[in-house]
Amino acid sequence: MASPGGQGGGGGALSTRGARRMKWALELSLGNTRSRGDRQGGQGDVVYPIGYSEKPVPDTSIQETDKNLVEKRCWDVALGPLKQIPMNLFIMYMSGNTISIFPIMMVCMMAWRPIQALMSMSATFKLLESSSQQWLQGLVYLVGNLLGSALAIYKCQSMGLLPTHSSDWLAFIGPPQRMEIMGGGMVL
Amino acid sequence: AMAKLLLLCLKFIVLCSTVESVFEDQVGKFDWRQQYVGKVRFAHFDTHVQSSKKVLLATEKNVFASLNTRTGELFWRHVDMTGPEGNIDALLLHGQDAVVVVGNGRQLRSWDINVGGLNWEMVLDSGSFQASCLVGQQDVVKHVAVLKKTALSLHYLSNGHQKWIENLPESEAVDYQAVYSGGNGEVYALGVVPHSHIAIVAYSLEDGEIIKQVILIHSTPWLSDIQGSCAVIGRGMLTCVDSPAVSLYTLDLHGQSEMTQIPLQSLGLEVALGFQPVLVSTQPNPARPPLSEFFLQLGPEHHLLLQLNNDQIVTLRDFKPVRNCSTTSLSCKIFYILACSLNLFSAETGRRLLDTTLIFNMDPFGGKPETLYVQAFLKKDDSVGYRVMVQTEDHTLTFIQQPGRVMWTREEALSDVVTMEMVDLPLTGTQAELEGEFGKKADGLFSMLLKRLSSQLILLQAWIAHLWKMFYDARKPRSQVKNDVTIENLSRDEFNLQKMMVMVTASGKLFGIDSKTGSILWKHYLENIPSNAAFKLMVQRTTAHFPHPPQCTLLIKDKDTGLASLHVFNPIFGKKSHVNPPALPQPILQSLMLPVMDQDYAKVLLLVDDQYKVSAFPSTKNVLQQLQEIASSIFFYLVDSSQGRLSGYRLRTDLSTELIWEIVLPTEVQKILSVKGKRPNEHVHSQGRVMGDRSVLYKYLNPNLLAVVTESTDLHQERSFVGMLLIDGVTGRIIHEAVQRKTKGPVHVVHSENWVVYEYWSTKSRRNEFSVIELYEGMELYNSTVFSSLDRPHAPQVLQQSYIFPSSISTMEATLTEKGITSRHLLIGLPSGGILSLPKMFLDPRRPEIVSEQSREENLIPYAPELLIRTEWFINYNQTVSRVRGIHTAPSGLESTCLVVAYGLDIYQTRVYPSKQFDVLKDDYDYMLISSVLFALFFATMISKRLAEVKLLNRAWR
Repeated sequence: MASPGGQGGGGGALSTRGARRMKWALELSLGNTRSRGDRQGGQGDVVYPIGYSEKPVPDTSIQETDKNLVEKRCWDVALGPLKQIPMNLFIMYMSGNTISIFPIMMVCMMAWRPIQALMSMSATFKLLESSSQQWLQGLVYLVGNLLGSALAIYKCQSMGLLPTHSSDWLAFIGPPQRMEIMGGGMVL
Repeated sequence: AMAKLLLLCLKFIVLCSTVESVFEDQVGKFDWRQQYVGKVRFAHFDTHVQSSKKVLLATEKNVFASLNTRTGELFWRHVDMTGPEGNIDALLLHGQDAVVVVGNGRQLRSWDINVGGLNWEMVLDSGSFQASCLVGQQDVVKHVAVLKKTALSLHYLSNGHQKWIENLPESEAVDYQAVYSGGNGEVYALGVVPHSHIAIVAYSLEDGEIIKQVILIHSTPWLSDIQGSCAVIGRGMLTCVDSPAVSLYTLDLHGQSEMTQIPLQSLGLEVALGFQPVLVSTQPNPARPPLSEFFLQLGPEHHLLLQLNNDQIVTLRDFKPVRNCSTTSLSCKIFYILACSLNLFSAETGRRLLDTTLIFNMDPFGGKPETLYVQAFLKKDDSVGYRVMVQTEDHTLTFIQQPGRVMWTREEALSDVVTMEMVDLPLTGTQAELEGEFGKKADGLFSMLLKRLSSQLILLQAWIAHLWKMFYDARKPRSQVKNDVTIENLSRDEFNLQKMMVMVTASGKLFGIDSKTGSILWKHYLENIPSNAAFKLMVQRTTAHFPHPPQCTLLIKDKDTGLASLHVFNPIFGKKSHVNPPALPQPILQSLMLPVMDQDYAKVLLLVDDQYKVSAFPSTKNVLQQLQEIASSIFFYLVDSSQGRLSGYRLRTDLSTELIWEIVLPTEVQKILSVKGKRPNEHVHSQGRVMGDRSVLYKYLNPNLLAVVTESTDLHQERSFVGMLLIDGVTGRIIHEAVQRKTKGPVHVVHSENWVVYEYWSTKSRRNEFSVIELYEGMELYNSTVFSSLDRPHAPQVLQQSYIFPSSISTMEATLTEKGITSRHLLIGLPSGGILSLPKMFLDPRRPEIVSEQSREENLIPYAPELLIRTEWFINYNQTVSRVRGIHTAPSGLESTCLVVAYGLDIYQTRVYPSKQFDVLKDDYDYMLISSVLFALFFATMISKRLAEVKLLNRAWR
């Protein structure tokens, strides 16, 4: 944690660690081992002028190959959900149909991810904006996610978590109303 | 989905519910037991130690017990068999031995009164018991004489061995009724030939030889019964009273052979018309002759103290009006004088002893005194003091000390509870105020607001007062904090766990008992209740209709005349209601409570008389109008077991009835034991059962279904049977019929939801068996919104299974909860005094013989013919309830909790949780731990949030 170079060009570096003990200290010898590692250049013996960056500035001019790269990248995004399906199938197979905490968590994850993706569809479309096949890619993405959620629903179904049986609605059946009033008993 | 999750929860509950028992520190926390002895037949004070605190009681309930005279609590109690086999015929007390004759002279027992242990027991020869007495000689009592119809036997007091037994001469003709010994080595058997003569036989104490036999031919044509009319007085003077001739007759047992007549007119006395005079003599020490002073009761309120002085009878004192008189040793006699005061009189002189008046206040809701038991003792200054135990007509025992302080009261009527109800307690005054606010009619916005504010203020005030009381009580030591429940501070608790138990006893005394503590809050004695009356208790209005008071109605029917009367009362305070019940001139057959209310929220009670006409109570215009509207849907059934007839009636608009069905079970073949309908306050939450394949098997929940139990008239073990008929009470349609061959009663039945459970004795296998019948509609509901017995085209599916039970049972009832979500248990009273809570799960006809995947999914237990009794199922741990006759269950405000009262000779109240307390935090729930963890987590979050902020800031600086 070196202090920013506010000490002028004198070449002196102020150590914050040292500053904890003393108010200030001037380091006369260059290339002191203590502060070398902190220097941006890492060399320590070369002092760069202000505004100089060691990293090369990227070439920002657009070339033809980049277009292909964007296309490829967009397809990656669009095909992402579809690629996950085999893995999901494997997880589904492995986790089994018993109801316990881990299968439930997995099913939740499986169901939640496509839904989340579908919710943020517009953001994904923005990503795909630069692509020429934007609509096709969007469709593939949508289908992939739908397939993912269908898989999750199928898993729920096979685990018995869907209210598809009459027994699931049993609790909502109220007692029937009595049409007759009856009473009596043994003759007292 | 949910069903599976629910099943998971249920599995958990089931697993938990098998460990259903009480912890040591919970003993007596939710339950209480009261032990009773019944109406006293014989009572003796223990006198052999000066400072003894014991009184020995033998009761009509065949109980022999010892009470602490200071507190009224039981020292010990022995409960004998019910019925004539356990009947206590006589109780003789000598020193610390109590000799008891049991079972019409079948057994002679001696008990040590200090610890209640048995000294010895002898089985006597058969023959009906007549009388017994202690026999002494030279001031030492060593023998006991037992007089039977044909023989007189003498037994040693020390070990019960028979010294001698002698046949009585001419026992076919002479009715020997009394035995007497005056301590001179002779035992007299006194017999009478009714309306002819007296026979006296004297036996030698040593060898049983007949010393003398006196038969006075044609001497007593007026005498039919020795007991009461005759007594031995002084040195062996047999004295008899003859009411038609208004005379006393005396006969010297030692020599005379001629009776001397002493007309009562010569004593200046007159006998009340139609009153049989009674003679009472006293023999304080069995080794000495009786006192020469004796009582003669001439009228219901007229007693005489007479003295036999040199063959002359002298009147010592004439007591008039005196209701009861009693004698005690220490040569004193005590009288109870008319209203509520007692006096001690000296027997020698007939004078009243100074400072011996005892005045006590009779319970205005109690009965009149019946018998007095007096314990006299010498005070330090040699004056005579006494205590008295009063038994009143309502079977109450009251122990009173001078100068009228009631030491204790025992309500022995509670040993014979006939029927009971549990009534919700009223809300507190403030809560009721708040409730009342919603009941009133609106009168302007502003005043409503003011009213609301004021009632909220009252609530706040009450809450602060409550907090202050809690704070104040917390500083006091725990033993001093007493929450005395009185009728004034009664109020419903949060979960409605405390209720008022209204109990009706056979003696006609009604009780209101707090279910939490068991203290008697009110009692009311109904006079002139016939001994064979039938009672039916109904709650007409609950406490839910403030400001209308709750209202209970008791139907009392005299079985001889058939005439009935109604007693209407407030179940919380026990007061007779100001509502006048209708006079019932016709014999009443049955009553029927309708769910219809009058304008005062009282449910309508219909009474059916022997002309099958119906009268309503209350019978206001409003009620009659409502009745007319719904008359066509009101049905009732009557079961006449003597004729084997079941009949159903429909109400007409003019309150007459029409017979719509009739079933006759021929009484030559079978008789109807009992008829059970469903409890009207029962709720069924689930309309079906979930199968293993997640389909639903719907229950057949017919509210009009009746379970009729019959037993064969032929009790031969090969031909006897028990029948179960399921009949629709509206249409008379027989839904199902089941017969168990080679079985017999008594049959105990529980009918609830869609099942009937019954228990019987199998004569073939010689064991008790349970059988369960369940009814299902099938996989589809016929009509899910309304149930009408008149529109039921399909017969239900019936499933039945039977099990072996290792014990006989006394009574059986099912648990009941508020919403019917909690699983059901059967509460079974065993003759051993235990109350067993048997999960209904074990009595399920769907229990499979071969376990399959589906049955496992359903949590069905594989079928096993034996039902085991697990010790942790006993809900009353070691609090034995003697002779359980009935179990009453009532729902509480908590769905998990059911209140249980078992009654018989004892009363036991507790709570049961058939599915564990799923809606209550456990007693040992660690509030401290949870809250400290919560706080710690909260602070940790705050601190780490702050730290994270600092770290982020520092990173930003980099």
